[in-house]
Amino acid sequence: MAEVNLNKTAVSPKTKSRNGSNSLMKLFKRNDMGVVIATALLFLIFALVTESFFTRYNLFNISRTAGLYVFIAMGQMIVLVIGGMNLSLGGIGGLVVVAAGYTMDSLGWSPWISVPIALSVGLLAGAFNGIIIVKSKINSFIITLASLFIFTGLVTGISQGFPYTNIPKSFTLMGRGSLFGVPYTFVLAIATLLIMAYVFKFTVVGRRILATGGNLEAAQLSGIRTDRIVFLCHVLSGLFAAIAGLLWVSRMGSAQPATGSDWLIISFAVAIIGGTALTGGEASMLALLASAILLTLIKNGLIMLNVNVYFEQTFLGLIILLAVSIDRIRAMIHSSARKFGRRDVTEAKPLAE
Amino acid sequence: MLDIKQVSKFFPGVKALDRVSLTFHPGHVHAIVGENGAGKSTLIKIICGIYAPDEGEVVLNGEKLALKSYSDALEKKISLVSQEIQVIPKSTIAENIMLDKLERFTRRGAINWKQLNREAEKFIQMVGLNLPPDTEVGGLSAAQKQLIMIAKSLSADAQILILDEPTSALTRHETDNLLKLMRKLADDGVTIIFVNHKLEEVLSVSDRVSVLRDGQHVGTRDIEGLKKEDIVKMMIGRDARTMYLGQLDIDWNTTVLEARGISRAGTFKNVSFSLHKGEILGFYGLVGSGRTELARILIGEDRKDSGEIIINGQVAHISSMADSLYKYRMGYVSENRKELGLLLNSTIQTNVTITVWNRLLNRLGAISLKQERAVTERYIEALDIKATGPDQIVNDLSGGNQQKVSISKWLAADCDILIIDEPTIGVDVGAKEYIHKLIWDLAKVEGKSIILISSDMPEIVNLARRILIFKEFEIVGEIDNLNTRQFTYEEVSQTIGQYLA
Repeated sequence: MAEVNLNKTAVSPKTKSRNGSNSLMKLFKRNDMGVVIATALLFLIFALVTESFFTRYNLFNISRTAGLYVFIAMGQMIVLVIGGMNLSLGGIGGLVVVAAGYTMDSLGWSPWISVPIALSVGLLAGAFNGIIIVKSKINSFIITLASLFIFTGLVTGISQGFPYTNIPKSFTLMGRGSLFGVPYTFVLAIATLLIMAYVFKFTVVGRRILATGGNLEAAQLSGIRTDRIVFLCHVLSGLFAAIAGLLWVSRMGSAQPATGSDWLIISFAVAIIGGTALTGGEASMLALLASAILLTLIKNGLIMLNVNVYFEQTFLGLIILLAVSIDRIRAMIHSSARKFGRRDVTEAKPLAE
Repeated sequence: MLDIKQVSKFFPGVKALDRVSLTFHPGHVHAIVGENGAGKSTLIKIICGIYAPDEGEVVLNGEKLALKSYSDALEKKISLVSQEIQVIPKSTIAENIMLDKLERFTRRGAINWKQLNREAEKFIQMVGLNLPPDTEVGGLSAAQKQLIMIAKSLSADAQILILDEPTSALTRHETDNLLKLMRKLADDGVTIIFVNHKLEEVLSVSDRVSVLRDGQHVGTRDIEGLKKEDIVKMMIGRDARTMYLGQLDIDWNTTVLEARGISRAGTFKNVSFSLHKGEILGFYGLVGSGRTELARILIGEDRKDSGEIIINGQVAHISSMADSLYKYRMGYVSENRKELGLLLNSTIQTNVTITVWNRLLNRLGAISLKQERAVTERYIEALDIKATGPDQIVNDLSGGNQQKVSISKWLAADCDILIIDEPTIGVDVGAKEYIHKLIWDLAKVEGKSIILISSDMPEIVNLARRILIFKEFEIVGEIDNLNTRQFTYEEVSQTIGQYLA
């Protein structure tokens, strides 16, 4: 029997020796590369095929919409990653939009007061979902389905269905302006993606979120307060929905109560195609960005191809199905390679000695 | 006749079966024994078509089998009664028995319940379950559910019936009845494959016994004239099951953990014990006797109604594992590592460092990936974890190495008190010995105080220097002089047996 060596000495170089030659292969094996490549290809095709695509105006529009989609998708990603979901995302968005519109239009308050209020509404709505899910231990599907109706009802009740149009001009800067030709919305999205990528890789709370999604019970028995993590993720989901809602108001120059009604499908499509594992525990910010752009391109392309816009949701649904099927097939190939990969085993052994 | 010919099965990092050949005859109860990780369940799964053999073949009555799934096996009249009892609680006994044959009793889309109950009644009688067929299964005892599972197999006209640890949840009396039933079925011409680690049961019912060890077939013997010791010798490959590890340097004057009058409605009533510095305290008992449940109260994952937990002389307020770990440096290696202990789809690194991320921060407050890697590599090295590196997915490791990873996170967290729950289930023999030595050294060299929960008697006798015996949520006995005197395994196990009786 090998001696149990507990003294905490130097690390053996043996365990470090890994094969460096196939790092390019590894890059392509990564879950998130598929969507990045697909997006790049589609971008290229559009640029070559349609003249109006590679124009400043069109690129501005695509990146701005993609930026908005990033926030909508982050609202879903942050709860998918803990193995949950938020069906009320669009409801929260609508509520935030109405809060912003009501305070700025009906009450005539300055955006400096309105925006914090609207953001708080998003946070509170997320906290509402979170606390009920944690305390009742009922799954997020049921809870957020119910709260979707609650929030949507509030939106309709408060606004009576009418848009708030008296929005200060200054407030539209965020949604319409740009930095060196890049829309602020997109800049903000990139910044947020970078922050979240950092959070997941380098911060304790980010790691705990991923661990909770990987296996909630094991995470809890490893000393993670999973209740707090679940609550936090739902609050963040509300925050992302609020940011998306405000960006939409800023872009439209009016607060439309119908905002959010199409977010459910967008949020799932972008998040799932963007490599967020439905089982939780995995998310890729790079793939999320690529996926947001991909979806914008597809919508953009459908319009250019003169596809009847009323069928748009059908296409989005089909794309989600395609994405999850590919994901499933990849998982199956991976696991069967593991099961029957005896060669791998024998090759792995000398390394492990 | 069922022939297993030179069957091998490989999993990443482990040879689960190594050229095993066995023959099973109709009318025989053929027991398969072996320690945890010997390859018993892999063998069963191959016979049942759940796994395909990597080498060799399975031949049934001269015909080579190429089973692709368990339903293929059922078609060949091979049936498995698995260790976990799988019934549908809200359905009746008859429904559970006839579940896969409901269409046979269906006319124009509706089930003929009378006919179904009548048919099920036959099999209920056969297994000696004296209950009406329309009884709901949910409220029945484990033994009764077990009988229902057997009745289900019989109703499928099983010619080869595999029973995997069928008595683990049963009482003595229920066990006796089940063994009688097995004997009767064999006499009726059924081939019975009986996987069990309770050797008394094996000796009392079987015609032959085959022993597996480390994935290899050690031998097959007729039960006539065979003694328990002979089987044990074959199972472990040496005479003595116990190795005397020596004395621990226990500081009997320092109580690191004390439970005073722990009560919880429906389970514990006024349970007290204490743990000393540098001690390995064994919790012995059968599954469900309250050992894990007490551990969960200690770490704050379950509530107690009354009583106190005192750590290092102070009343501890623990309401979660997080409190236990971060406030009191008490860790818990959970019994079911796949579901409760590990993030199976994550890397070794994540699983080892999960408890210490907050200690691996650099000046900017970010987790230092370098330190994280160093910690992981240190434990891969120190615990001899067989892996390709820190980034290997834990799911791809063998049971023993998974368990080492599961222990590593608590070592990394530098806990003073460790509760280790069934550390060697599903672990191969080599890794098992290694883990035993590791637990021993944690107490002996590092001065940790350890509660070892185990239903593996040799394990607890070897390691623990004091043993509390649990039965029905009570501590019914204590063996406390193991550190100063060397007892034989038989002496200790007999004493435990007396407490449990």
